[in-house]
Amino acid sequence: MPALVESSKKRKSVKNGGAPSKRRAVAEEDTFAETLSKIQELENQIAESRKHYNNIATLISMLNVESSAKEPELAVAVSLCRVFSRLIAAGNLTESNRAAENEKIIVAWLKERCLEYQRALMAIMREADPSSQITALTLAMRLVKERITHIPGADNNIWATLFKDIIEAIVEANNGQDLQAEFVTKFVKEFEDVRFFTFVQLAEYADVRRSPETLDTLVSILSSCDDAPAADHEFESFFVPRETKTKQLNSVNAHKKRAQEAWLAILRNNLSQAQRKNLLRIMVHNIEPWFSRPELLMDFLTDSYNVGGATSLLALSGLFYLIQEKNLDYPQFYTKLYSLLDADLLHSKHRSRFFRLLNTFLASTHLPATLVASFLKRLSRLALNAPPSAIVVIVPFMYNIFKDHPTCTFMMHRTIRDKDLAADVEKHGMDDPFDSNESDPTRTNAIESSLWEIETLQSHYHPNVAAIARIISEQFTKQAYNLEDFLDHTYQGMVESDLGTGERVLRKTPVVEYQIPKRIFTDRLLEEDGGVDSGPAAFLRELWDF
Amino acid sequence: MPPSQLKQLKASLRDSGVIRPQQSKKQKRENAKTGASAQNRNQRNAALQAIRDRFNPFEIKAPSNRSKFEATTRDGPSTTAKGYRPGVTKSLGEERRRATLLKEMHDRHKTGGLVDRRFGENDPTMTPEERAAERFARESQKKMRKESMFNLEDEEEDFKLTHMGQSLTLDGKTLDDFDAEGLGGGESDDEGSRKRKRALPEDGEEEEEEDEDFIDFGAEGEGNPERKKSKAEVMKEVIAKSKFHKHERQQAKEDDDDLRDELDKELPDLFEALRGMKAPPKQDEPAQQDLAAMNPERAAMMQAPEQQDTEKQYDQRLKQLTFDKRSAPTDRTKTVEEKAEEEAERLKKLEDDRLKRMRGENVSDDEDMADDDKDSFFAGDESEEEEDDAMAFGLPTSSTVPRPADMGVEDEDDFVIDDDLVETRSNVSLSLDGSDVEEEELSEDDEPDVAEQEDELINGMTLPTSTTETAVGITQSATGKLAFTYPCPADHDSFLEIIQNVPAQDVPTVVQRIRALHHPRLKPGNKDKLGRFAEILVEHIAYMADETEEPSFAVIENILRHIHSLAKTHAINVATAFRARLREISKVRPLNLIPGDLVVLSGISTIFPTSDHFHAVSTPAHLCIARYLGQCNVEDLTDLASGAFAASLIVQYQAISKRYMPEFINYVLNALCNLAPTEMAAELRAFPPRKIAEHLRLESSKRNSSRKLQFDDVIKSPVDSKTEEELKMSLITTFASLLGSSSDIWSEKSAFTEIFTPAQVVLQHISKSFKNKVLPVKSALDKINAHLSQAHLTRRPLFLHDHKPLAIKSAIPKFEENFNPDKHYDPDRERAETNRLKKEYKREKKGAMRELRKDASFVAREKLREKKERDSEYEKKYRKLIAEIQSEEGRAANNYEKEKRLRQGKR
Repeated sequence: MPALVESSKKRKSVKNGGAPSKRRAVAEEDTFAETLSKIQELENQIAESRKHYNNIATLISMLNVESSAKEPELAVAVSLCRVFSRLIAAGNLTESNRAAENEKIIVAWLKERCLEYQRALMAIMREADPSSQITALTLAMRLVKERITHIPGADNNIWATLFKDIIEAIVEANNGQDLQAEFVTKFVKEFEDVRFFTFVQLAEYADVRRSPETLDTLVSILSSCDDAPAADHEFESFFVPRETKTKQLNSVNAHKKRAQEAWLAILRNNLSQAQRKNLLRIMVHNIEPWFSRPELLMDFLTDSYNVGGATSLLALSGLFYLIQEKNLDYPQFYTKLYSLLDADLLHSKHRSRFFRLLNTFLASTHLPATLVASFLKRLSRLALNAPPSAIVVIVPFMYNIFKDHPTCTFMMHRTIRDKDLAADVEKHGMDDPFDSNESDPTRTNAIESSLWEIETLQSHYHPNVAAIARIISEQFTKQAYNLEDFLDHTYQGMVESDLGTGERVLRKTPVVEYQIPKRIFTDRLLEEDGGVDSGPAAFLRELWDF
Repeated sequence: MPPSQLKQLKASLRDSGVIRPQQSKKQKRENAKTGASAQNRNQRNAALQAIRDRFNPFEIKAPSNRSKFEATTRDGPSTTAKGYRPGVTKSLGEERRRATLLKEMHDRHKTGGLVDRRFGENDPTMTPEERAAERFARESQKKMRKESMFNLEDEEEDFKLTHMGQSLTLDGKTLDDFDAEGLGGGESDDEGSRKRKRALPEDGEEEEEEDEDFIDFGAEGEGNPERKKSKAEVMKEVIAKSKFHKHERQQAKEDDDDLRDELDKELPDLFEALRGMKAPPKQDEPAQQDLAAMNPERAAMMQAPEQQDTEKQYDQRLKQLTFDKRSAPTDRTKTVEEKAEEEAERLKKLEDDRLKRMRGENVSDDEDMADDDKDSFFAGDESEEEEDDAMAFGLPTSSTVPRPADMGVEDEDDFVIDDDLVETRSNVSLSLDGSDVEEEELSEDDEPDVAEQEDELINGMTLPTSTTETAVGITQSATGKLAFTYPCPADHDSFLEIIQNVPAQDVPTVVQRIRALHHPRLKPGNKDKLGRFAEILVEHIAYMADETEEPSFAVIENILRHIHSLAKTHAINVATAFRARLREISKVRPLNLIPGDLVVLSGISTIFPTSDHFHAVSTPAHLCIARYLGQCNVEDLTDLASGAFAASLIVQYQAISKRYMPEFINYVLNALCNLAPTEMAAELRAFPPRKIAEHLRLESSKRNSSRKLQFDDVIKSPVDSKTEEELKMSLITTFASLLGSSSDIWSEKSAFTEIFTPAQVVLQHISKSFKNKVLPVKSALDKINAHLSQAHLTRRPLFLHDHKPLAIKSAIPKFEENFNPDKHYDPDRERAETNRLKKEYKREKKGAMRELRKDASFVAREKLREKKERDSEYEKKYRKLIAEIQSEEGRAANNYEKEKRLRQGKR
């Protein structure tokens, strides 16, 4: 690996040769070249004969990682990797039963050195700077490859030990974003066996309670793995070329199972609220495809749903998937859904997402009218305090529901048939029969109520919103409104549609107030009106001093 | 057995008289003379044709739909053809192709050559006669077109030599005769000879002169009536007469022109006289003399530019005169009562219009207002082809407004935060400069009103008749230090330069002067200038509120009133300026209104009707305030103060139209909850709670007095804790009274109970902590309680769908009287039209395809023929050559034999 050596040399010179004088730099250059040649020499000696095996120990000591792996000697690491690769390929690291005692000793000694080297690499990965980390990762993976290809029957062992160490080092690496990204792009996404064993190791790793930061790393690694393979996927790209392909590595189900285990291990861990939300957000696209048995997500989802607030909103879609596909029985689903309709909902940024789902949930015409009416009434109550962009969704949504549940239209139009009651109402007025504190949507008595709130919104300050609110008092001739068109409006969008983005010529002369007021801010000419302040802006003057 | 074909032919020929016994030569000659032979020939041809037809039964194809029975129809006898001749049409087509297509085919690979562009030369459909006629027509048309710019005469076809109006063409033999006779009548000889000389073609000015020559011609014509005139003569006479009259007209016109020129020359003197000033002594008099002495042509040349100048001047003045108003009878002077009544009526009408606009109806003046509004403000959506439900309500398509991506902030109460939340100072631009929308829309009839209003504002300054006078007027009225004249600034910076050294309280005077000096009646360009000025003023009020330490609201008010009065004439400019400001707010700082914005927004409340259903300025202003109230972050008391100001603006805006604004209620209740000395139980809140900094909470409920809020509170935060507490207290009272007045406004709403029950709870909570001591809170609470009980009494179930039932669609077929199967009865005109076009298209296509196919087969046939020809030629040549060779060979063989035999013989 001359290139690597070269690069490390450069780095070295850059690192050291900043401030010092030229001569010193030259001197360092010399010493560096000397070290290099020395390394080369030692390496060649090892290759030449066995008696120079002690050079390995020298090289390892030159690695400069005993106390801390902050500044490793990468050239040494590379050359060591070459040495070990050669040894492994030559079979010097396998002990045969028939070998002599001293042979066995040598093999054992070599194995020990190899282990030492591996530990050093792990240390580098954990502590060094990102570029060294990546180099170490490459070297370690190369060792994995060499050992598996040249030591027969060692693969499971290697995956379970060396690779496990690698994974741990990657996850726990200091400033390991680059390292993790490198690992994911170069190895996990490329090679399917690496992915498989990554899943295995991550599942094992996440089985223990970990800190939130570690969990974040795990989630990011897992979610950046490729999409789940299709059922008829052919596994082709392997990191370690093998003749006898193990069955496990070739089955989609096995892959999925490992991924599922890894995810489950993470989900079972102590997640913070933010992580939970994040997971819920990627649930449908990144997590669920890996699950051959999505019902295993049930616990997580129901727990999340019970948390309330935005977490519940996010859990809804996953839960809905389970209910729909896996026949999950969620008692009190609608009660829970009803309780989600709180004052914050219409201001939440998950509003559109929620309405899309609510539209699905209330689409069934088999739902009892009382329940649907409760939802309608609750929504209309909320609309009274909602931003225009939410009102704009609610009203067409209601319209569609009214079309599906004609029984609910009494909420818009009710004649009191009972004469006594009518007289009573005429005399004393009435209260809203709707019980807003009742949590069970079938008992709120909403169907006896009327949607006064929407009627009030017909005089909303924005003409377009008012126009939309007016559709519930017009004849219901349209079949249904397309809800998608009304979602995702914002203040900014509305302002822009009113004002335009650039300067545009007004087509029509805007009307101007015909009377110029005598005063706007001050008490100008107040005595002319006999001291009584009236006219435009009088209210403002009453409250404010200018 | 019928006789043979030959015999039949002979018999029929004989029968039809084609073959007949030989005629004698004499008879032939006789026939030729009477034209009988031609007649005979025609007859013969017809007969021959008939016989050919008879003997070629296969040439005629029977019509495909033979009528089987006799039928009488309304359309008359059936027009079915008697059969047609495919052979004939085919041969016709063939012939035509041979003439066109074949030619083209031959010319295909040829370049260059001569193109015969003579009209109709290559058109086989034209007979030679037609060709000639068309060519003649074209030629004469070309002549008719006036090529020469000096050709004044309409009748004059081309240049012709004439004498006394008669042409001297060579074939005019009769003319010569006539001339000789006419001249002999009443004219002196020498005159005649002069004319004759003149008529000679050497003279180039013939055309100019000829008119003069006509003058005495008429008399000549009268001179000898006894002679019977030929038609040509009569015509010539008529022409001559008309030319004479024409000449007379021209003469008269020239006289007029001369007269006018003279008058023109005198006009400056006249003006001088009018102005009461002495005309300067004429200096160019001697020069004139010189000119007179000069060569007339030269003189004319030298004089020409001067003359042009005066002419131009004259034209200008004439134009000005035409634009002068005609005097019209004035209306009778009105009495005071009448005037008052009129004024009241006018106000009533304006108020009615306002109410109509509020309800979103069309105002009578401009019928299509609502549509226009929609069109103009959502014009961007029209391009969108696909149907969007939301668009029907004027909402922008959601695709154009991408939702902000994940902001990263996530909390239970995360609000929709728009991507423009981040304030980027860099793109704060006073975009007003860019708007050069200058439109003069207001017609003159608005002028009296405007003038009245203006008078108040430009008070003390009568409408100036001349600028100098106005300037004098100002000297007396103004403070003395100010300059009298100011240029009309073109942008805000130059306005700032103008008022740089002017004390703030004098700025209105400067504005007043600029307006007076640039009154639109003084100069044509002033109207545009004032429009710009109005925009600058809008910019300036915001600037004053933003930049100055303590804005003088008397000045701002005064300038606002100026803007208002300017808005009456320059509504578009003012509206554009306000809209630009609103756009800036929504782009740069939607959640952080600065004092300038607040001033601009309150300016909008007085200048524009905020009650309109849709208004180009006030609707976006509403949206801006609502967005601020709905989403702003409250960090300190100044934020709350500006929120309170915005909320009061909303009450102000909605004082007439009483529209509901959810953001207002949310903001006020949240502010009250956060200011209240003790926290409220969370479950009592029906509105979305907003947590703000805890330090804003009022610390102690005792010994706190409230004051009226100052505009300064929006700008400066209080210095010490005492004033801070005082400010908090006054904010509470202000918010409470805002709730009270909003409950007044919205008391009629059907959901009043739902809106104000939370408000009631909050106010109760606050007043409990004050032990009912704070008056405004108490009064607001009382008000709301009263309204709530009233709302309870008036509440009825909704009764929205009391519509007339929709008519069921009728399915009775529509019967047509006098149905004609050939006619199409499609009620949809467009569809009928398209069907017709489709049919026509299909027919044409079929025809064209048939023609193309025929063309193709023709071409193929031609090619084949040519190939055959070539082949046969080749064969022939080949044979010839072979034969030649063979004969040669034979000859050579013979020779050889001969020689051989000879030699053998010798041996």
